[in-house]
Amino acid sequence: MLRRHRNLFSYSLECLKKYRMRTTVILIAFTVAVSMLSSVFFVKDGLEREAEMSVAMAPDITVEYLKGGRLLLTPSSYADAVKKIDGVEKVAPRIWGYAGISVYTFTVIGLDLSSANVPSSVAATLAKGRFLRPSDAGTGAVVVGQLLAGMLDLDVGSSMILLSEAIKARKFEVVGIFSGQSSIYTADLIVMSIEDARRFFEIPEGYVTDVCVYVREDVFAEEVAAKISTLPNSRVVTRDLLLRGYKYSYASRGGIYTTIWTILLVAVTLISFSQAIIVGHESRFEVGLLKTFGFTTLDIIEIRLIESMTLGLFAASLGMIIGAVYSMWFNAAGLADILLGWAFLPRQFKIPVHISSPSILAIYSATVIPLLFATVVPAWLNAITDPEIAMRRAAA
Amino acid sequence: MRKILALPVAALLMFVLVLSMNLVSEQAWSDAARRVEEEQAIRRVVGLPSIAIGTYYGATRNPLLEVYCTSLYDVPGGYCYILAAIFVDTPLRDPVYSRTIPGFNMTAQRR
Repeated sequence: MLRRHRNLFSYSLECLKKYRMRTTVILIAFTVAVSMLSSVFFVKDGLEREAEMSVAMAPDITVEYLKGGRLLLTPSSYADAVKKIDGVEKVAPRIWGYAGISVYTFTVIGLDLSSANVPSSVAATLAKGRFLRPSDAGTGAVVVGQLLAGMLDLDVGSSMILLSEAIKARKFEVVGIFSGQSSIYTADLIVMSIEDARRFFEIPEGYVTDVCVYVREDVFAEEVAAKISTLPNSRVVTRDLLLRGYKYSYASRGGIYTTIWTILLVAVTLISFSQAIIVGHESRFEVGLLKTFGFTTLDIIEIRLIESMTLGLFAASLGMIIGAVYSMWFNAAGLADILLGWAFLPRQFKIPVHISSPSILAIYSATVIPLLFATVVPAWLNAITDPEIAMRRAAA
Repeated sequence: MRKILALPVAALLMFVLVLSMNLVSEQAWSDAARRVEEEQAIRRVVGLPSIAIGTYYGATRNPLLEVYCTSLYDVPGGYCYILAAIFVDTPLRDPVYSRTIPGFNMTAQRR
């Protein structure tokens, strides 16, 4: 029994060699399609995981101010009102926004240094200098990311001038530069005191951009969020909502490319199908002969199954290896720009890549199974024909 | 015979390589989540939920609520950032778009 299967295995491998053109067409087409598809999957999963990690560190609840459905500055008094709500552990008013330099947009963060609990471990995220201290409030001291430091050739002690929306130049002094290791998060950051941010954005006293709320561990954030949402004009966003939103955002963008490559995969499957039919005609005599020698229909199908499995496994695995190398070592050049839309990844860091189990399973399923169908069906049609008729037709 | 076996053997080896890459990657990410206390600390201090994907458009960085809000409210005809990207699905089918968000009337809710 085992010997029989071994013989069928050897015979199917011989067929791969004999029908070289079909083997080559299927291998090349599937490898190309899978390499790009897998690259999208790996990059998308990586971005999702990074977003997940960042969101996990975000405040439990963010409160903003809406008027007529639009975002406005949040009155600082909201922080005091939120503080009184049961279950709230800490409230941190925040001022943040964007600063444009060249074609890039940087994120300016104003921290309340008097109340921000900055752990000493933050120093390890810096390549040079130090993090902000309470005494830096209002002095124009900033900590910048690698992207800005590289662009403006900044070092600790350097001065830089940012142009605000009010077209006013503000001078800042760099006291620290974030390291490359944390650049996936810090590359485009400019961190300063909340007083400096207020001056830079010209935000009037008594207002902040938003209010961060941290709830006690024994309390559900959603319960507190529901209470906060009773404040007039408040817009309450929980961390869970942010996470779902990010995941959705990357999944949707990945969806475009995935769709395109899925269409390509379908086309490739059709090519395989047509190749199998052509070869099916060529091998009709052979199948008739085999059946005359006692091969059953199942044997013929088994031969084609082994062929397809070998081809599918080879092409899908090779495609995924190429996709992983393309993403990890070549930063998914060209592809990342499409996946990120209007956004860009600073060249200072590598694109995050996650070779996840669901993606691998999905890619194998999307390649090997259609290939099995595309090649086994024509083989089955040949195999159920009467051997004598098959040989006569092939000879005609 | 040896030559013929090259293809299935290579297929098997590459399959094992893919599984190994998968294991290494999963391990690396699970370490990354726990890893670097300092990296977690800076994220906690800054409090922005997104990674440093910069932008050519002022609505695409942190926090996501601004992405929603700016793209949906502040830009004329602005279903541009997230919704335009939906190619294979409709937003209403996703729970993100159908769950009630206080003060955020993004879509009508289907019941």
